[in-house]
Amino acid sequence: MIPKRDVQKLYNLPSEVKFCRKCTISNQRPRITFDEHGVCSACNFAVVKRNEFDWEQREQELLELCDRYRKNDGSYDVIVPCSGGKDGSFVAHQLKYKYGMNPLTVTWAPLISTELGRKNLDSFIDAGFDNVFGKPNGVVTRKLTHLSFKHMGDPFQPFIYGQTNFPMKMAVQHNVSLIMYGENGEVEYGGDMKNAFRPTREIADHDSHYFSGLPPEFWEQHGLTRADLAPFMAPKYQDIVKNDTQIHFFGYYKNWDPQENYYYCREHTGLEPNPERSEGTYSKYASLDDKIDGYHYYLAYIKFGIGRTTSDTAHEIRDGKIDREEGCALIRRYDGEFPQKYFQLFLEYCDMTEGEFHEIIDSWRADHLWKKVNGEWALRHAVYDEEEQQGNMAA
Amino acid sequence: MSNLRLIPRLDIKGKNLIKGVHLEGLRVIGDPQEYAVKYYEDGADELIYMDAVASLYGRNNLSEIISRTVQNVFVPITVGGGIRSVEDVQRLLRSGADKVAINTAAIANPELIKEVSNRFGSQCMVLSIEAKKMPDGKWHAFTDNGRERSGRDVHEWVQQAVGLGAGEVLLTSIDQEGTRKGFDLELTRSVSEIVPVPVIASGGMGSVQDLFAVVDQGKADAVAMADILHYDRMTLVEIRDAALAEKIHVRQV
Repeated sequence: MIPKRDVQKLYNLPSEVKFCRKCTISNQRPRITFDEHGVCSACNFAVVKRNEFDWEQREQELLELCDRYRKNDGSYDVIVPCSGGKDGSFVAHQLKYKYGMNPLTVTWAPLISTELGRKNLDSFIDAGFDNVFGKPNGVVTRKLTHLSFKHMGDPFQPFIYGQTNFPMKMAVQHNVSLIMYGENGEVEYGGDMKNAFRPTREIADHDSHYFSGLPPEFWEQHGLTRADLAPFMAPKYQDIVKNDTQIHFFGYYKNWDPQENYYYCREHTGLEPNPERSEGTYSKYASLDDKIDGYHYYLAYIKFGIGRTTSDTAHEIRDGKIDREEGCALIRRYDGEFPQKYFQLFLEYCDMTEGEFHEIIDSWRADHLWKKVNGEWALRHAVYDEEEQQGNMAA
Repeated sequence: MSNLRLIPRLDIKGKNLIKGVHLEGLRVIGDPQEYAVKYYEDGADELIYMDAVASLYGRNNLSEIISRTVQNVFVPITVGGGIRSVEDVQRLLRSGADKVAINTAAIANPELIKEVSNRFGSQCMVLSIEAKKMPDGKWHAFTDNGRERSGRDVHEWVQQAVGLGAGEVLLTSIDQEGTRKGFDLELTRSVSEIVPVPVIASGGMGSVQDLFAVVDQGKADAVAMADILHYDRMTLVEIRDAALAEKIHVRQV
């Protein structure tokens, strides 16, 4: 019997569920804050970004940053983490072809690659980039996937370890001090706002922001060895410091617009979208590389009531691509859709039965978010119900 | 030989004219009304209005935009997106549309084609197809603005739909749409050859050479164009002149 988790306590979630007045996100997203008008920190940041940032000045800062780190001896001067998707490819292409840098692009392998993801990465590399591809031991990755699904409520955690730590390792190994990520998710999508007005992130925040307080070393308690976990771990802290490693966000310097990144990469790096919408959402251009990622998004739906469509609509509303009414209609239609397509594959990958899968899922259901109705789990609070109520009151 | 029709295609979302790539991403271009009038004045033979997200959001609200447009635009207008019933068709025709283009609802309920055709005439019933080439080389029809696989083979479906009364086919290649890499010639030709009704080729026009190819090799009866016009890469006047110079039968404006 898997013990029930106290999700609310683990993530410090408010008891009363509130939805942002402007977008579709709720106050259950960890670390997000709402102002006195019921507007989330990400929406407020989007307004500031649109109206107050001096993008010419920011580009000037980017030019200065590039000049500061630029090397002319043929060695790499910037590390760009990149899967071959629209965001990292955009950053790498801009840095190389617009700002004259010599990037080393680094890719941490998906847990189970999709054909399209591999094809897009190949197209990206063929568009003129050096790339190192990190792929850890399959047996360990599978074990870690199962363990993190069970104990952290996220099967994607091994990927997140690598995605976060591998670029730092490559930076140290290649003596490159500058790492350039795309957007700061904490700031753009709601989270800790302390870095909203600076270009960098603190490496010391990685454990809390990306690993839920459990770094790779933690899994020694569950029978994995240091050697098993080494590929997932960060380089030694003194080596990071000695290398003077700095993590910057491209989104600080240039207006970040995922849709425009898609158009850009379609044209410059041969990016192809999914032939059909991804399960759990309406979009075809994001998060295409991994057959497992549907379970990552599904767990967010279980833990926080925030499914993939909620996340996608929230940032598209902030970007002015859709309005809130559309967002609610999309959430009603797609949010929380079970990722059926690769279910059997996922069970086999984790060596787990369907019964165990559902037991784990239910152990992560927060009581203040879920109730049983006629034997089926249902959300206690949905943004579209609230929208409808408000509409009726207005009428 | 009848004239090749040059048809600007206006994809609409909410109040805006938008443009995607592979029917994905929806960049706002501007006010559809302004573009419609400009294209009419430049000699468009017809216009297509497509509510790109109507099926996705379960709504249909182009009536208002159409009724405003027909005050200044006097060429046939085809309207598509989110049409689910004969009543929806009637409302759009009353607003000033001349034809309706139906995809998602026709696939869900092919009888709708027959009902619309019987009630308003087959010339009014345009079958809209969003086609994507699959790894086995066949084309599948998609719904919901290219998001959902319907499981239907394009060639079987178009024959069935024409048998039910569809009088024209708007054939959009998802693979080419928004790429400026030219029309899917093989798709257009293969569909044109198996149905007796006109086929409008849509998706991929990046230059007049693409238009020449889709007429010559694709056997298209009409050409829908969006990117090339919306981004002002060429005007309709230039396109028409180039077609005339190539001895393609188009309307003399």
